[in-house]
Amino acid sequence: MNYLFLFRMIKTSVGRKQLMAVTGLLIASFLFIHLAGNLLLFKGEDWYNGWSELLIANPATIYIEIGLLFLFIIHITMAVWVRTEDLINASYRKYDMSRWHGGRTIGSATMLYTAIIILVYLVFHIIHFRFADKSIGVYQMVVSAFRSPLFVSIYIIGSVALALHLSHGFQSALETLGINHIKYNVYIKIAGYLVAVCMVFFAVISLYFYFGLDLREIADASNIVEMTIE
Amino acid sequence: MLKLDAKIPSGHIEQKWDSYKFNAKLVNPNNRRKFDVIIVGTGLAGASAAASLGEAGYNVMIFTISETPRRAHSIAAQGGINASKNYRYDGDSVYRLFYDTLKGGDYRAREANVYRLAQVSSQIIDHCVATGVPFAREYGGLLDTRSFGGAQLQRTFYARGQTGQQLLLGAYSQMMRQVSEGNVKIFTRREMMDLVVKNGKARGIVVRNLLTGELERYAAHAVLLATGGYSNVFYLSTNAAACNVGAAWSCYKKGAGFANPCFTQIHPTCIPRSGEHQSKLTLMSESLRNDGRVWVPKNKGDKRNPNDIPENERDYYLERMYPAFGNLVPRDIASRAAKKMIDEGRGVGPTGEAVYLDFRDEIKRQGLDKIKEKYGNLFDMYYRITDEDGYKSPMRIYPAPHYTMGGLWVDYNLMSTIPGLFVMGEANFSDHGANRLGASALMQGLADGYFVISSTLPNYLASTKFEEAHIEDSEFNDSENSVRSEIKKLFSIKGNKTPNEFHKELGNIMWENCGMGRSEEKLKKALKLVPSLRDEFRNNLKLVGDEGFNQTLEKAIRVRDFLEFAELLLKDALYRKESCGGHFREESKTPEGEAQRDDENFAHVAVWEYAGENKEAELNKEQLTFEYLKPSTRSYK
Amino acid sequence: MEKNKFSITLRVWKQKDASSKGYFESYKVEGIIPDMSFLEMIDVLNEKLIKQGKEPIFFESDCREGICGCCGFVVDGNPHGPDEHSTVCQLHMRRFKEGDVVTIEPFRAKSFPIIKDLIVDRSALDKIIAAGGYISVNVGSAPDANTIPVDKNTAEKAMDYATCIGCGACVASCPNSAAMLFTGAKIAHLAYLPQGKPERTKRVLNMIKVMDSLGFGNCTNEYECEAVCPKEIKVGAIAKMNREFLFANFLSEEEPQLPPVFHKSTVDVPEDE
Repeated sequence: MNYLFLFRMIKTSVGRKQLMAVTGLLIASFLFIHLAGNLLLFKGEDWYNGWSELLIANPATIYIEIGLLFLFIIHITMAVWVRTEDLINASYRKYDMSRWHGGRTIGSATMLYTAIIILVYLVFHIIHFRFADKSIGVYQMVVSAFRSPLFVSIYIIGSVALALHLSHGFQSALETLGINHIKYNVYIKIAGYLVAVCMVFFAVISLYFYFGLDLREIADASNIVEMTIE
Repeated sequence: MLKLDAKIPSGHIEQKWDSYKFNAKLVNPNNRRKFDVIIVGTGLAGASAAASLGEAGYNVMIFTISETPRRAHSIAAQGGINASKNYRYDGDSVYRLFYDTLKGGDYRAREANVYRLAQVSSQIIDHCVATGVPFAREYGGLLDTRSFGGAQLQRTFYARGQTGQQLLLGAYSQMMRQVSEGNVKIFTRREMMDLVVKNGKARGIVVRNLLTGELERYAAHAVLLATGGYSNVFYLSTNAAACNVGAAWSCYKKGAGFANPCFTQIHPTCIPRSGEHQSKLTLMSESLRNDGRVWVPKNKGDKRNPNDIPENERDYYLERMYPAFGNLVPRDIASRAAKKMIDEGRGVGPTGEAVYLDFRDEIKRQGLDKIKEKYGNLFDMYYRITDEDGYKSPMRIYPAPHYTMGGLWVDYNLMSTIPGLFVMGEANFSDHGANRLGASALMQGLADGYFVISSTLPNYLASTKFEEAHIEDSEFNDSENSVRSEIKKLFSIKGNKTPNEFHKELGNIMWENCGMGRSEEKLKKALKLVPSLRDEFRNNLKLVGDEGFNQTLEKAIRVRDFLEFAELLLKDALYRKESCGGHFREESKTPEGEAQRDDENFAHVAVWEYAGENKEAELNKEQLTFEYLKPSTRSYK
Repeated sequence: MEKNKFSITLRVWKQKDASSKGYFESYKVEGIIPDMSFLEMIDVLNEKLIKQGKEPIFFESDCREGICGCCGFVVDGNPHGPDEHSTVCQLHMRRFKEGDVVTIEPFRAKSFPIIKDLIVDRSALDKIIAAGGYISVNVGSAPDANTIPVDKNTAEKAMDYATCIGCGACVASCPNSAAMLFTGAKIAHLAYLPQGKPERTKRVLNMIKVMDSLGFGNCTNEYECEAVCPKEIKVGAIAKMNREFLFANFLSEEEPQLPPVFHKSTVDVPEDE
């Protein structure tokens, strides 16, 4: 028996794509947890800080982070590999007139560019939050960042890129793993777009704070209190 | 004189094939590798022969004119493949398939061969299913069959309207399996130019590498020809552009007898031509006649929109002339009837060379959806080509050359008059007599390739003493030199007319004078026109480019062969004074105008022998004897 | 019913051979009848060129009824032309109008080297089939055809994938020049049929291995292949191939070898010596 069959996952085109698909889907599921955490920002400082302390205090976190790092490394390595081959191939297919024939979407055609944006954003994001000074509390750190137009712009670009990436990536990953069924294809497509829309919520949260809607709520709340006193 | 020994095994017809196989000499598995076999052509017959011989362990080299074996024109067959499986329990049997095929061929085929064809037909289906051909199935999961012209039962297996494609891809995949095993080597883009005969045996071929223009030599112990038919002699036919008679013609010139070249089949339901530019005709499945009604206006030159012509001014001529079979008469009869209408000046459409095929009544009866379900792809195809909606107004159809029953003469072993030269599929003459029934071509190609040649070739190899043959031999030299000088000759002409113009002109002559209706007068006229066209070709051909990759040159070589071959076809048509099957001599008809066969004088195969350049071909005859089925007159009234 | 004749300008890719540099040459084509097919229009032009002693445009076609897969080039950026799910031989001139400038160029892909003008070498597709696109049955050894029932739906699905004509438009349209639809279609055709099951591990692993070695690209699931396929083969074929691969890699115990002809070298096989 050849126990090296796992290497076939990197030795063949289909295997590489499937590795990319699996790691991509795992990263996407992490993003949902991440998003869930972010949504706690709406709940207020205590909730959010509590969540982040829970993460920091949990000894498993570091392993999860290392795991994530590996996922990213595999996903990116495979992408670079696959893309390099494809770019070499593309140099042979320079049509004088190039056209889309109905299969491509903006998401699928921009995978490479959204990937680069996401990667740059990710580096920035990690430097900015993971290794930042957290003395003022994580909530304050995040919220104050969201007050900055520069940061919010970066954040919006990042999450829109992520949404585009996943608008193709989700269903593409499923197809690569062989999930294609005449009954479910439409739902998979819709699910892919829903996943993409979810990613936009990262941006929505930042805009929420940028426009000070959290403060207005507090203000509104105090108004209500005042009104009741009256 | 050719020695025409059909080598039919003795015994009762039901035992002939089995006793042949038992008596045949075998080649020891270890020795098979020592035998080289050349196959020319990768259609159904060629590819399946490569597969079966490769499996057996012979060293096979297969040549195709195309870029890949899968382009062979077998791929375009639509309808289906016959087999005497009797899965429907509707009275089918080997004997009945034998009977239908022989009768359909107007009793001009060899009984023993046809019986063998019917015998192996059911094994073909077994093998094809096992090799992954996705035949149509019923809800219970078993194979579906349908009916086809010339038979009163449902014995035709099919894969949508693409049966030929599926069978060819099946045979191709089996051949590719042998390629992967190293038993078969494929040589693509090679056109056979000449057969090399040494010590009276076929021992190799000279091919032209179409990409480089180089002439290449290949030696072997046997040469198997599977190069298809010659319908393109009519220029406009349903055959693919590359189909040509060149390979068979070069074998004829090396001594192989050419049998019954005048037996050509005209298919009644093709899309008519739209103008001078027309390069080929497209066939629509015969099945359309199941529900469509064929008619022309009663009045000459009626140019009204067909939907405006009232019922009483329409002439449903097939139903009128053949009330028993109506629109479902066999191909040759339907074609001739259409021609008659057109000759009377009642043809329709812009060129006046078409008749209507009308679905109006059936759409009314069965509903549009049902008709769409049955024939949707054909209506789409018609729309794509003509820009007309066949559901709304009747389709226009016209007959077109489609298949050629004639071909190189072969005996029971499929061997031609040259020892070691075997001919399979449409390229040989054997099994269809004067008319082929629908869905029988695929059956014959696969029978020859998978089942017959794999038994008869070993018998030849085992029982023959072979001398050394090498590509450096003088026979190969001579052959290559003559091919080269012929090509040089073409370049030296420097005239004004393109090969295509000659081909078109030849086609016109042939179609006008030797198409659906042939007469002594017309044939004699054509026999003057063709040689003079050939002379013009030799003096006024225009070529461009060089001897390398040159599509104009390829065409010129093929047209040259057609120009020579056409004369033989005409001569055979003139010789055969009877009407039978696809060959209709206007002089030989019943008082009602139907074909009149002459069994007394023409119950034989006319085999033509090459006598040398500018010499008249010599006629040889193989008498056909009918021990089991007595010839009867076909009647569809 | 005489239809109006019209003229167009044809920009054609001319290239002497694989190693030469190609360029576009423009031809004015006059007297076009709407009922002409696109290839007949080129025929007419070629006849004129030959008459003038010029080199005609080299292109391939054979059956001219959309089934042999021989024709194929790119018309205004569309493999097989602007008609959906059709081959270029089925394209008719009524699609165009007076004064149009029509650009035609060959299928462009690393694995389809240009031979001349519009003709490319698609023999790589044959090599993929030779790697396993078949069922191993010897002549005469098959059981009766009705021994194994195949449910109608499955048989139809296999037929859907079996209709591939091997024209290469999927490769030509793919942004990565992948042959996944072609390969997937053959794998799916055989994998759906019970007759193809015994060899499924060997088939999928070998065909993918050979496909990779021939320089075809990777699939990024953009479905351009599906959009241009003349036989409307669906990307379900690729998904099926992916499933077959997962099965073969993780569940099957078999470790197949490539067929003998591939042992010497993987790229330079099966044709020619």
